[in-house]
Amino acid sequence: MSRTTVEKPATAEELARLLHEGAEAGQAVFPVGGGRAAQMGDPSPRDGIEMRTTALDRVLEHSQADMVVSVQAGITLEALQAHLGKSGQFLPLDPFNSPGHTIGGLLATGWTGPLRLRYGAPRDFLIGIRVALPDGRLASAGGRVVKNVSGYDLMKLQYGALGTLGVIVAASFKVYPKALHDITVEANHDSMDQAWAGAERALAMPMPPAALELFSTGRVLARFLGSPDATKRMVADLGWSEADGSVWHQHARTAPPLWARIAMPRHQLRSILDELHSDQQWWASPGTGIANWAIAGSADEVRSIRALATAAGGSLVMLAGPDEFRHDVGAWGTPPATLHLMRRLRYAFDPNQVINPGRFVV
Amino acid sequence: MGLEQEVLNELRRAVGREHVIASSNDLRIFERDASIEGAAPDAVVLPANTAEVCAVIKIAAKHRIPVVPRGAGTGLSGGAVTIRGGVALQVTRMRRILEIDPVAQTALVEPGVVNQELSLAAATHQLFYAPDPSSQKACTIGGNAAENSGGPHCLYYGVTTNHVLGMEVVLADGSVHWVSGDAPDRIGLDLCGVLVGSEGTLCAITKIKVRLLRTPPSVATLLAAFPTIDSASQAVSAVIGHGIVPAALEMMDQVTVGAVEAHYRAGYPTDAGAVLLVEVDGISESTRELMAAIRTVLGENHGYAMREAQTPAERDLLWAGRKGAIGALGRIKPNYYLHDGVVPRSRLPQILSAVGEIGVHYKLPVANVFHAGDGNLHPNILFDLRDTDVWPQVESAGEEMLRAVVELGGALSGEHGIGLEKSAFMPWVYSPDDLDAMWRVKGALDGAGILNPGKIFPDLEHKRPHLAGRTGLAVEAKWW
Repeated sequence: MSRTTVEKPATAEELARLLHEGAEAGQAVFPVGGGRAAQMGDPSPRDGIEMRTTALDRVLEHSQADMVVSVQAGITLEALQAHLGKSGQFLPLDPFNSPGHTIGGLLATGWTGPLRLRYGAPRDFLIGIRVALPDGRLASAGGRVVKNVSGYDLMKLQYGALGTLGVIVAASFKVYPKALHDITVEANHDSMDQAWAGAERALAMPMPPAALELFSTGRVLARFLGSPDATKRMVADLGWSEADGSVWHQHARTAPPLWARIAMPRHQLRSILDELHSDQQWWASPGTGIANWAIAGSADEVRSIRALATAAGGSLVMLAGPDEFRHDVGAWGTPPATLHLMRRLRYAFDPNQVINPGRFVV
Repeated sequence: MGLEQEVLNELRRAVGREHVIASSNDLRIFERDASIEGAAPDAVVLPANTAEVCAVIKIAAKHRIPVVPRGAGTGLSGGAVTIRGGVALQVTRMRRILEIDPVAQTALVEPGVVNQELSLAAATHQLFYAPDPSSQKACTIGGNAAENSGGPHCLYYGVTTNHVLGMEVVLADGSVHWVSGDAPDRIGLDLCGVLVGSEGTLCAITKIKVRLLRTPPSVATLLAAFPTIDSASQAVSAVIGHGIVPAALEMMDQVTVGAVEAHYRAGYPTDAGAVLLVEVDGISESTRELMAAIRTVLGENHGYAMREAQTPAERDLLWAGRKGAIGALGRIKPNYYLHDGVVPRSRLPQILSAVGEIGVHYKLPVANVFHAGDGNLHPNILFDLRDTDVWPQVESAGEEMLRAVVELGGALSGEHGIGLEKSAFMPWVYSPDDLDAMWRVKGALDGAGILNPGKIFPDLEHKRPHLAGRTGLAVEAKWW
């Protein structure tokens, strides 16, 4: 992707106007937040405007009593967490390749982290959204209440759409109270059989962990959140050794230069990871069915794992890598059977494919 | 209007003669759901499977006849009302639970499966289906998915959309598609996410894959009395403000408690200004600690006469009172009109006093029974439809209540849907550009307007004269 111009609008209205002007001039527009997922998707064949959202960095409203926050899209996750933390609250999102993600970027890419096991993805706690469209309009959906069925759920449609249905300029979320007690334990296993068995045992606890990560080294990390007695009992029953909570902070910084995400029906995940050669490094969330692969191999190996993943009902998506490599294997793999419906929706919002042309599967 | 004989014959060939209802007397049964406004369909068609649903929709599309999917008809916003006539697509013959996978913790069901039947079937595997509308003994999973229904336990567990993994749907052209499925982070746009809650305007749902949850080992349910609605509202905010999110946190006012107690004898305190029903679940250590903390907070906020269910039977009785509350209100007046606006939780005292004042102004009794933890109101305006001229008063009172909700930064509906009832109010919340974005989705998937016309969007062509002339507020667009 080569960019001829860089814009950094100070308001949502300015962003919408610049987007519209670009569209009218036949230019492509590439929205950029923190740039943490810049290599996600296929390399775009077109030049165009790089639309940076980072000047849109305000918390619009945080109602502590209502546990709802509204922010502009360019605020970083860390800045938002610092704000919420003052009230003992947080957004349960801990993506990899941190720090520096913007909220808009996280919504557009759908990147998540270990806490998804307990809290779900932002799809589950995004309650309102505002987007700029290539025709210059600003459109909102949802609202600022935790439960809302007023009109179509366009939050779901925009989430993970990689900007192809509009540039996200603001969003509202349901936020959560920090847990009364937060404890992390770990186990290191000599064999992967033992490691998988350990992970499954932890996931089957009567109060399951809020996050559980399994590493190709045989390490298993589990995080329990809840009331003090309850978490203590789970930790005692599991019998693993206590780890420093900062391990999650370190884990979130992980960002392999050549990186794929494998997403499977939960019980198919192991069968795919077992196909990786033992010298390959990966980490996985067996409770959600998602794994991250730090690829040390050829495009052919990626293609063959993708074929297995797809056949078992899952996917393999490239999250990072040189343009040539991504071009070679393709960022997305086989498109879904409903691609033509997705294209109709894209056409309804961005008929000339102004935003991120060629980057998304749709 | 009626359908041409040729169309009826085609429908009969598609699903079988005995599964098409077209006599005017029989059709009257299908003219309403659980809301007020009604209009009879021209035909009711009861398909047995996906192929028959496709066939019916293709016939309708060919003749440009509206199709309105319908489950149990328990909806509260007119979603299943055939306001433009056409075909009511009654899915209640499609009522098989196709699969419960206890390992993957999922179920695959047909749209006519009743909500409670699914939870009962799942219970044999120590699993349950979380969304629990008060109509769960009758309402269908298909209807729940179409409306994105909620229920008391959605405070902690989330609403229907958080539990639907995938669906088989039939679009307005009769084509069949699977959207989403078991794997997370699927490639492309989240079609399933936008189809759930689309109120039958984008697709007919023919199969639903849902997530099941493990039955919690321990449950604690507490009933607490409060001197006033205000103090109960403060207590709700205080509980949440302490970082506790119970599984359910429900409020009933004195009018409701009186009716419920007369009917169920559940031991609700009839002298209280309001009661809260609070439930927590999890492992026993967790429920014990949380309930102790909740009792303290409620006590600090004027809660009294706190009573914890000691047995499952006692808990069931407390919940029977809550879930049967609206039926029990029939002791006061034969009809009710129910809205379900949502306000930011901290605005509960303001909105409840506004609702009370509106009731007094119109001289109409109002009973509040609702999901306080979510800020999701359910004011029931009680009346007798046989009274002359009462309905316009009821409708105006309801409209004023919703207006107050919107002015406090709230939403038109938390779980019942916009349907017919609230479509005229959409411009209160959304700007023309906001509505245009939603309209683009409709245009992309049902450009001919076959599926459930006249719902969600403010009706420009078929004006409802008594609602004309309302000015737009578009609070969302102004707010950002």
